[in-house]
Amino acid sequence: MNPTGLAARLARAKEAAVFVLPLLAFLLVLYGMLAWTFYTSFADWEGTAPNYTFAGLKWYRFMVGLDRFWVDLGNNLRWLILGVAPTVVLALFIAYLLEIGAIKGIEAYLRTLVLYPAAMSFVVTGTIWSWMYQPDRGVLNTLLRAVGLDALTSGYTTDPGTATYWLILIFVWQYLGLAVLILQASFRSVELQEMVESAMLDGASRLRILFAVLIPNIRGGILVVVSLLLIAALKVFDIVYVVTFGGPGYATDVLALFQFIATYQQHLVALGSGLAMVIFALAFIIIIPYTVYALQRWFE
Amino acid sequence: MKMRGTPLRVLVLGTVAVLSVIYILPVYVMVTTSLKTPLEITQRQYLAPGGNLQFGNFATALRLVAPALLNSSVISVTVTALSVFLGGLGGYFLARFRWPVTKVIFVLLAIALYLPYQAVLIPLVRIMATTKLALTHFGLIFSYLILNVPLASILMATFFFSVPRELEESAQMDGASRLQIFFRIVSVVALPGYASTAILVFIQVWNEFLLALTLVTPYTTTIQVKLNDIKGSYVALYNLQMAAALITVVVPLTFFLFLGKYFIRGILAGALKG
Repeated sequence: MNPTGLAARLARAKEAAVFVLPLLAFLLVLYGMLAWTFYTSFADWEGTAPNYTFAGLKWYRFMVGLDRFWVDLGNNLRWLILGVAPTVVLALFIAYLLEIGAIKGIEAYLRTLVLYPAAMSFVVTGTIWSWMYQPDRGVLNTLLRAVGLDALTSGYTTDPGTATYWLILIFVWQYLGLAVLILQASFRSVELQEMVESAMLDGASRLRILFAVLIPNIRGGILVVVSLLLIAALKVFDIVYVVTFGGPGYATDVLALFQFIATYQQHLVALGSGLAMVIFALAFIIIIPYTVYALQRWFE
Repeated sequence: MKMRGTPLRVLVLGTVAVLSVIYILPVYVMVTTSLKTPLEITQRQYLAPGGNLQFGNFATALRLVAPALLNSSVISVTVTALSVFLGGLGGYFLARFRWPVTKVIFVLLAIALYLPYQAVLIPLVRIMATTKLALTHFGLIFSYLILNVPLASILMATFFFSVPRELEESAQMDGASRLQIFFRIVSVVALPGYASTAILVFIQVWNEFLLALTLVTPYTTTIQVKLNDIKGSYVALYNLQMAAALITVVVPLTFFLFLGKYFIRGILAGALKG
């Protein structure tokens, strides 16, 4: 049973093959396609027929010369910051509140309440929220008018100045439950519970316990939540496509939507590949700390 | 870590009340609007349910989405079954063959797990178009498989970790092969894990929009793409839009409500909680 010799190692490799080969085949296809996109971004493919002539940085130069690219990058940055920071802070608050003050039955209720949107698609939430935001007959403005707060009514996603923020709000609404769930789970370690108990015996205030005991000890959980949200915010496509299609003008456009339009409506496939690589590069940066953390956890 | 005090209680109840409004209102609006007449929608009585409940809206919406509903069911069920099977095999490798190369595979998987679909969209569409697979359900099935097998593998690996090794060792003593051990023991013990993974993959595939939109053909339109079409072509008919939206979420929401435990475990396994 002690695999030391070459023969024994070969036997184990043969055993492993049936389990790992299908997975490797899928990974090979996936990374092959990634390399293909990478190459296409340096090709001269413009139009419906493929053209793999090497064109160097031609389409990247074209990309950075476009106003739209910088508008998109700015919007993606708004998504990354405003889609993630408020969600994490709110989730921490709710998770902590549930931990210290849960009244019987409330925890299960609240969990279901904030988590159900996680099972819905962005197309569905986008459809619902389009109706909520609809400026002259929609739900929110009608409600505000009904209670006499006409001053607070707004054009929501039709107002170029604020449209992106209203879209981000949908995202926060949809992802809050997921963040609460993961943070609450990371509160649940035995050591952490003991630390909180002893801090309470020492007479530490609730806020002190949160900031001095809990938050520093759930860095792993926070890293996971922040990474998941950042990636989701970076990839955002559906909400924008369904609710505003990047409009008004391209006020709410994001890289993912531009990638789709450049490739499949303008048929600038090399440009689309370049945009895809920009999105991939950003995603890659985001998941490095997460991957390192996960690797340590798995192979400690 | 329970604490007491009236202010805390007030804070909790206040938070619950606010969140209840924010999270129930959109669904309430979806349901009531889906049962109204077009006239009632223009009358701005949005919160009150309509006077005469229009269940006919659902019949109309269902007629519109029925083929898409069927397409989505075929695609999602097939992808889920295959992903869970292949992910089970891959996950077992990750959990039990802890070699240096396993770390490399793990990193490749972790990146694949969060890969923005855009990064592979252009080649994928090209392959599906030249092989004509895009004209059948296999186009989307194959595409979703490539993207979901890594997720299923990682999830299943986390579930296999909690299967005690002693079970396997004693079977090994009895001369069972790895495959026999995997199918007859480990997979049976990890059945709840399979359920979690299946629900997560199913919901992800059912809700996917970008690939479904890009690879769309009249024969393979999925429910999400159809809902988006309806939103675009029946602009003022919010009642019809909401009825279609409701039909679209019924399946994943049912899973969530009745098998929520597995859904939650799957999310936590995916988040690699400690």
